[in-house]
Amino acid sequence: MITRRTFGKYSLGAGLYALASPTTRAFAQNRPTITVAVDNLWANINTINGISTTTRRFFPNIYSHLVERDYIGDKEGLILKPGLATEWTQNGKVWTLKLREGVKFHNGETMTAEDVAFTLGPERLWGEKPFEPRGKTFTAGFVRVEAIDDLTLEIETEREDPHIPGKLTGYIGFVVPKKHYLDVGVDAFGQAPIGTGPYRVTTFRSGEVLEMEAFDDYWEGPPPAEKVIWKIVPEFAGRMAGLVSGEFDFIANIPTDQEAQLASYDNVTLARALAGNYPAFAFNTRPDPEDNPLVDVNLRKGMVQAIDMDSIVQALFGDTTFHPAVPFNFPEYGKFYDPDMKNPLPYDPAAARALIEKSRYKGETLRWHITRSFYPNYEAAAEIMVEMWRQVGVNVQAVILDNFQLVYTRPYHMMNMSMSTDFIPGDPYQPLWLDWGPTSSRATAHWKTWDPTPEYLAAGKVFEEATDFESRRAAYLKLSQAWQDVTPGYYLWKSVYNWAHRSDIEFVPRPDGEMRMFGDYMAL
Amino acid sequence: MTRFWLIKFLRTVLTLWLVVTFTFIVLRTSGDPVVALLGGDAMPDEIEQFRQQWGLDQPLFVQYLQYVAQMATGQFGDSLRDHRPVIDIIFERVPATLSLGLAAYLMAALIGIPAGILAALRRGSFIDRAIMAFAVFGFALPNFFLGILMILFFSLILQVLPSSGTGTIWHFIMPAITLGTFTAGTLARFTRSAMLEVLEKPYMRAAAAKGVPAIKRILFHALPNAAIPIVTIIGLNLGQLIAGAIVVETVFAWPGVGRLLVTAVSQRDLALVQGLVLVIATTMVLANLIVDLTYGLLDPRIRKGA
Repeated sequence: MITRRTFGKYSLGAGLYALASPTTRAFAQNRPTITVAVDNLWANINTINGISTTTRRFFPNIYSHLVERDYIGDKEGLILKPGLATEWTQNGKVWTLKLREGVKFHNGETMTAEDVAFTLGPERLWGEKPFEPRGKTFTAGFVRVEAIDDLTLEIETEREDPHIPGKLTGYIGFVVPKKHYLDVGVDAFGQAPIGTGPYRVTTFRSGEVLEMEAFDDYWEGPPPAEKVIWKIVPEFAGRMAGLVSGEFDFIANIPTDQEAQLASYDNVTLARALAGNYPAFAFNTRPDPEDNPLVDVNLRKGMVQAIDMDSIVQALFGDTTFHPAVPFNFPEYGKFYDPDMKNPLPYDPAAARALIEKSRYKGETLRWHITRSFYPNYEAAAEIMVEMWRQVGVNVQAVILDNFQLVYTRPYHMMNMSMSTDFIPGDPYQPLWLDWGPTSSRATAHWKTWDPTPEYLAAGKVFEEATDFESRRAAYLKLSQAWQDVTPGYYLWKSVYNWAHRSDIEFVPRPDGEMRMFGDYMAL
Repeated sequence: MTRFWLIKFLRTVLTLWLVVTFTFIVLRTSGDPVVALLGGDAMPDEIEQFRQQWGLDQPLFVQYLQYVAQMATGQFGDSLRDHRPVIDIIFERVPATLSLGLAAYLMAALIGIPAGILAALRRGSFIDRAIMAFAVFGFALPNFFLGILMILFFSLILQVLPSSGTGTIWHFIMPAITLGTFTAGTLARFTRSAMLEVLEKPYMRAAAAKGVPAIKRILFHALPNAAIPIVTIIGLNLGQLIAGAIVVETVFAWPGVGRLLVTAVSQRDLALVQGLVLVIATTMVLANLIVDLTYGLLDPRIRKGA
């Protein structure tokens, strides 16, 4: 029987025990499990082979970046701050990185410069037959990556590259453990990865669930949740019902027309971020098919001037996003961005008709290949655009296809695509040169839609070599103009990432789509 | 009898071989899976490396011979997406589909058969019409629609049932009802018509004249004689159960074979689709075999005929 005296004794004992226990342990015991309902996961969790919008959501919970973008201090994330690298200095073509001391991988090993050299090196990313070949795109110009001592690393590039720290904020900046990676191989590593992030993967079934648990040796300290479960719930009604009823703590990817419904629940908060990504369409500018009328630039420019994209964006998204009137003049490019830049091809049906009449277009049907449900509202926007083009005498057929493989099957005159803008923070290198340049899939793949012109290539060479801001900005404007002279595509709107979560959770959304369940980005 | 089973066995092997070959050819000739697997922005180098790694750069007949040789040793290959043995991936999912299918079938049989019997016994009455109206509703309502309606009502509005996933007995309720409703409706209709036919037979009148109690007449005289069409419907509906599971497992995020098939097809994971088609075809063939066997058990004339 518990008397007042024994109750007091037990309480005192319990209190003393709690005081004597390590704080991290007490903290760990009280931490909740967070469940995130998502529409999809990905086949693997390799930092490069697994690149996708869905993996980016959870990558930083598993891996840490060498260099971080600070979205708390600057909403465009143009401030860089230390991650696994604490200092970086440039000396001509060589960058020297000082690494953080005592960082542990999830398997208990300590991170060294050897691990980072392997992460960024030719064997894994840019050699003859690398483990993760897509890494070549992000390491163009690398000639040497070398560990100088346990905590010092050098990266040498073929020409001076002022953007190396910025590039290390992206996918290539996630560090993997060399020995473990080589022991298990790239495929097995992608199924059970090890990083230095705040959570370690315990279960991964790519078509079903990803479970991770707190890694208390994380270099920034123990994370706030004991477990984070990323569970695929394909049907939106299921995700919504689960969040409202308290089964889930977060849901991702909310159809725009369902946002208001979700926001109407008291226990739910909606979160949005304008993403570093723009859905677009490409004109097939090549004579393939032979009678392709879109080889004529007048027809392409006329079609652009026939689109009232501001009205379409307003109708489909309200005020949540915007249409970038001038290609590559994007607000996330800081000093490169000019809000007063004049749109050379504004909405003007009369001008559109004049250009189309000047072209050799004879009323042929133009096939526009679109991947079903890949970009929110894309099909709806396409329907409106098809009607706008009909008004100026252009006959476009929107062909909705189930996957990219079908989209890339010729013949087509136009196809959907999207372009990311965040490879180098604050610099238009990725959408303007990496994604359209001579090595891009858009110019080299079997489904390519354009051949870069000599003017574009010449301007691109100058742009690549320009290092100081003024010369780089001048080169950027020239390169952008060379692209606009051809108009091989059209950017529709800035993508919006959205999430909903329990109202009692504080969550800071990021434009890169990352859902960080730790640090300044989430409080429980 | 041995000859009967030998023919059945050979026919089964032939059916499965045709299914495997057809699936292999259709999947390989309907386009390159690499882009679907690697994503739209995969680099040409990456595509080439992947193709070599998985033997997709080989001529079609070489790929086919390799696949058949592999199958002869009991291997189904590795998933192009997960890089794990296909057979492991499939068998991880089988228990979830089987348990859901069993629950749905039990529910369908426990509701459909008694409802059909009751409707037959009360032919033309209000009860008969009400049961038949529900039966028509059951197999006319698309199961994805019923599933979403149930999620919105029981999970979102009432908040009494979990909206998705597995783990507790409560997770079974909505998916099992959604999956079983079609079968329950079909069973009710077929049971009613089979029972009506049997109830008018002379031996039923003779049993009544001899004073056999009504419950005994129904359970021991009428039902066994009406069982053949009911068993046929149950067998045929096994296929529907798997087809229905594709939708129901997607709606309720149920980690079963149906959802795995949807994912594998959309991602063009060739080895996994082939393995799944083979497993599903085997299930269908076995179900038909079991139905044939049950006929023999239920009706001695069929047994003797065989």
